[in-house]
Amino acid sequence: MLENIKELLFKIWIILSGATVLFLTLFIFGYIIKHGFRSINIEFIFGNPKGIPLGAEGGVLPAIAGSLFLTIIACIFASVLAISTSIYIVYYCKSKRIENIIHTIIQCMAGIPSIVLGLFGYTLLVVNLKLERSLLAAGITLGIMIFPFIQVRIEKAFREASSTIIQSSYALGVSNSYTFLKLILHICKFEIVSAITLAGGFAMGAAAPIILTGAVIFAPIPKSLLSPVMALPFHLYILIGEGISLEKAYATALILISLLLIINMVSMVLIFRKRRSTE
Amino acid sequence: MYKLIDKIFDTVIKLLTLFSLLILVFIIIFIFKESIVFFKEVSILKFITGRKWNPLKSPTDLSILNIILGTLYVSFVAIIIALPIGVGTGLLLSIYTNGKWKVITRGIIDILAGIPSVVYGFIGLLVIVKFFEAVLDFPTGESVLAGGILLSVMILPYIISTCSETMDNIYKENLFSSEALGTSKIYMARKIVLPESKKGIIAAVILALGRAMGETMAVMMVMGNTPISPKLLKRAQTIPSLIALEMGMAEVGSLHYHALFASGLVLMIMLLIINIIFYYIKKGIHVR
Repeated sequence: MLENIKELLFKIWIILSGATVLFLTLFIFGYIIKHGFRSINIEFIFGNPKGIPLGAEGGVLPAIAGSLFLTIIACIFASVLAISTSIYIVYYCKSKRIENIIHTIIQCMAGIPSIVLGLFGYTLLVVNLKLERSLLAAGITLGIMIFPFIQVRIEKAFREASSTIIQSSYALGVSNSYTFLKLILHICKFEIVSAITLAGGFAMGAAAPIILTGAVIFAPIPKSLLSPVMALPFHLYILIGEGISLEKAYATALILISLLLIINMVSMVLIFRKRRSTE
Repeated sequence: MYKLIDKIFDTVIKLLTLFSLLILVFIIIFIFKESIVFFKEVSILKFITGRKWNPLKSPTDLSILNIILGTLYVSFVAIIIALPIGVGTGLLLSIYTNGKWKVITRGIIDILAGIPSVVYGFIGLLVIVKFFEAVLDFPTGESVLAGGILLSVMILPYIISTCSETMDNIYKENLFSSEALGTSKIYMARKIVLPESKKGIIAAVILALGRAMGETMAVMMVMGNTPISPKLLKRAQTIPSLIALEMGMAEVGSLHYHALFASGLVLMIMLLIINIIFYYIKKGIHVR
């Protein structure tokens, strides 16, 4: 009897937890979509911020553009480093000890809070290298933030790639570089792109690292790597933090969320295609 | 010709790897270098045990015990709320989903983890804080509790995915014997999967603790940011929000500027320790 009650309680517990998570997900998206949908229109997406204080009227085009540029720079910076580090760990590194050390280092990097990365970007890139608050400085800071995330996923993909093809390639005397560029990258391309897009989503949504390194309250669409940028998350923060316009804040949040959803969908579709092609 | 390309390729890979590993060294060196200036003026002990933070009054009146306590307090509140829900959902997912559904639920949890913290903060401010003020009639809605509730939602995805990873493995390992004995799924979850995944749950808590302590924007928007001794229903401040708010005001090279780096260093050291513990616990699980 007691067992039965316990089992029932257990069942209720896990179902309730699952329901809570589902409810939270639906609530968050529903809330933003419901409120944001009213104030979103073509002018908002393609216009410049206007009004006094700035942002109370008009649109967010420079912020959308700024966020996209920041994400692209961060992704390029992080993926170049992540792919080469993964290649090194999986195919070059012979000693287990060095591999462990590299893994520990990457784990530590993943654990550094984004605000500390912002501090680092500020002192090294903005102050010492005199990049000023710029697209480049903020992009690199974001790149450092997502590097561990991409690296872990790509390394996993490399390890899962069938080693027979690679060994046959070596056996045929094909060179290292050819094997990597034509074979391994080809086999793992879905995972790599999926990891990068997912990480791009994280970079796009992060506000803490760019507050100190590049985001400003107003800037036109950036013309060079050294110009300051607007970014959606920071714009959203300013709109609420300074109490400028709640309506615009909802719309900005909706745009940010939609961009992230698109990115996540792309990543998920890629994983599905990969599964289908291997099955 | 191929030999040359190969050689270049090898060197480039090695240099890039070295560079990416050096980033961590650079981060530590730079944060340390900027903090050491501050520690020459104010002793480390005074910095982390004093309770006053007043950059405007006297330049050496900077110590962050209240802020450290605030950071820890809000993170623990978040974990206490999130842990039962996260573990329950983890069990549910590892037992009742498979194949395609597993990928889809994973995707949903990834999306939940990918919602930017500013958006969480925005919703927290308009829903949780407003609820405290309007419905429950608290003097201030911006409080440690509001921050804790919001953070618990944000760390849920990390707890769920870490837990369900371990639980999946344990479930698969024992599925055959359990089916042979004719036990129900739910019985197996309660008697085998849950107790066996203790280590995984601990790892999840540690990961979530790290995430919660390093969180900036969301917490900053709902906690009121007052460097006083933290109480559950009062305002408080965390280290990340302190840095984000005051860095813009601090003049480069001033003691205030260096003090902010020093608090960043304190936060970083706490999180590095947490992460190394997480790494070894997780490694222990995989070896088993």
